[in-house]
Amino acid sequence: MIKLQNVHKRLGGRAVLAGFDLDIGRGETLVLLGRSGTGKSVTLRHIVGLMQPDQGHIEVLGSDISTLKGRELMKHRRRIGYLFQDGALLNWLNLGDNVALPLRENMLCSASEIEDRVFKVLSQVELEQHADKLPSEISGGMRKRAGLARALVCNPEIVLYDEPTSGLDPISSSLINRLIDDLKSSTQITQVVVTHDMASAFEIGDRIALLHEGKVRALGTADEVRNSSDPAVSQFIHGRIEGPLAREPLPEPQPETETDEGSDPQQKENIQ
Amino acid sequence: MVGWIREFGAFLRRTSTTAGFGLMLIWRTALVLPHALAPRRFRNILDLIFIYAIGALPVTLVVSVFTGMILALNTGLSLKDFGQEQMIGRIVAVSLVREMGPFMTALILAASVGSGVAAEIGTMKISEEIDALEIMSISPIKFLVLPRMVALTLVCPLMTLFAGVVGILGGILVSEFQLGVNWVTFKNDALLHLQKKDVYTGLLKSFIFGLTIATVGCTQGLITRGGATGVGSSTRRSVVVTFLLVIIIGYYVTWMFFS
Repeated sequence: MIKLQNVHKRLGGRAVLAGFDLDIGRGETLVLLGRSGTGKSVTLRHIVGLMQPDQGHIEVLGSDISTLKGRELMKHRRRIGYLFQDGALLNWLNLGDNVALPLRENMLCSASEIEDRVFKVLSQVELEQHADKLPSEISGGMRKRAGLARALVCNPEIVLYDEPTSGLDPISSSLINRLIDDLKSSTQITQVVVTHDMASAFEIGDRIALLHEGKVRALGTADEVRNSSDPAVSQFIHGRIEGPLAREPLPEPQPETETDEGSDPQQKENIQ
Repeated sequence: MVGWIREFGAFLRRTSTTAGFGLMLIWRTALVLPHALAPRRFRNILDLIFIYAIGALPVTLVVSVFTGMILALNTGLSLKDFGQEQMIGRIVAVSLVREMGPFMTALILAASVGSGVAAEIGTMKISEEIDALEIMSISPIKFLVLPRMVALTLVCPLMTLFAGVVGILGGILVSEFQLGVNWVTFKNDALLHLQKKDVYTGLLKSFIFGLTIATVGCTQGLITRGGATGVGSSTRRSVVVTFLLVIIIGYYVTWMFFS
């Protein structure tokens, strides 16, 4: 479903991904762990085609994502949902319109069907009563849940979550975790979750990958990771200061869109 | 010395890549121009025209009236020394329609609307909303740039017409009550000497200025990076760059038509 082979990426003169390999199967929920700056969000951006690798191969849903351009890339992206850290909702649209946006703009279904689908996904995240509110009128947790509803409204085959529970209260976190779990059991959605929340990682992950120095340092089921003899894994899951991961990585360079209009002109890009 | 040259080289490189990005933006927007007629996008454009025009209207009104008054007073007093104050109409009308109207309106729109566009799109960029649009297969050019570019390109000539009319009215007020030139004399002199060419050159200028303001605002917004500071820098740059471009483009358009 998702294959990353020998992916290299340098940002701001630093190797964020250095020979990164990962294979994620259909219907699998994979959790990406790692210290800040180890390339977790950059990995998600590569999967969705917002960034191109300097070297290596990325196959998503049977296509080499780095070769897709224009309409092909857009069509491909419709099969992928993405939950951003802060929801990335458009501030001038209410929650209902935000969630309906991809359906309306891509003219994927009729107005009544859009209404039904929006209500359904908003109900899933328990926001159906707040469809008329603007993002500025709700809490950060609600924004994140609305972002999740928007990621799910097009019935994607892959959902990518960038820290879905960070900054949330325990109840909202549990709601998101339950939703990810429900999606796993009720559909064949493939999910990749970047998180620092260890409890959440062990709860939702079929497999867990620990990233370190631009590579996958450890990969296995929750139990395998929990019982790993690798000192780096043990240090990370127990949050110990001393250990192989002690060296503070540089902050992850701000990811830049590379393929579309919003790009920095100093980067090579292809304005759509 | 070497460091200075390197910095200057980097500045040139940045400027040329940003300019290239802006020109590409115009080109890509032109390619999707027919989408402006799609009902949803068309409604969005009308909303923006309304918002931009209403937002800039009070400032344009005050600035234009007073510019007309200043123009009439300064030139009128000088002309009075030679007993030629009846020529005041042509000077105020031609200056406002051909040069001052488009120029003032462009500066007002650059400061009030262009900076807002840069800040709005810049904030969207740093809060990952532009990325979110792309992931949802929504082209930011069609969704964000096209409506703003069309709206500003239409608003600028409209506001220029308004500025010209109220500026001339300001000139008439001063002529009538301070210079002792009857408003009918003012009007007749203005209409006699104001040529069609003055009007369409002024409108053409304001059309180009509107496009410039929108392009610079959208470009600066889309290349924003680095959080709130980055948004501030983009907003400031959008105003400075637009001011410079408006003056330079204004000169060349006048030169093309009147030299």
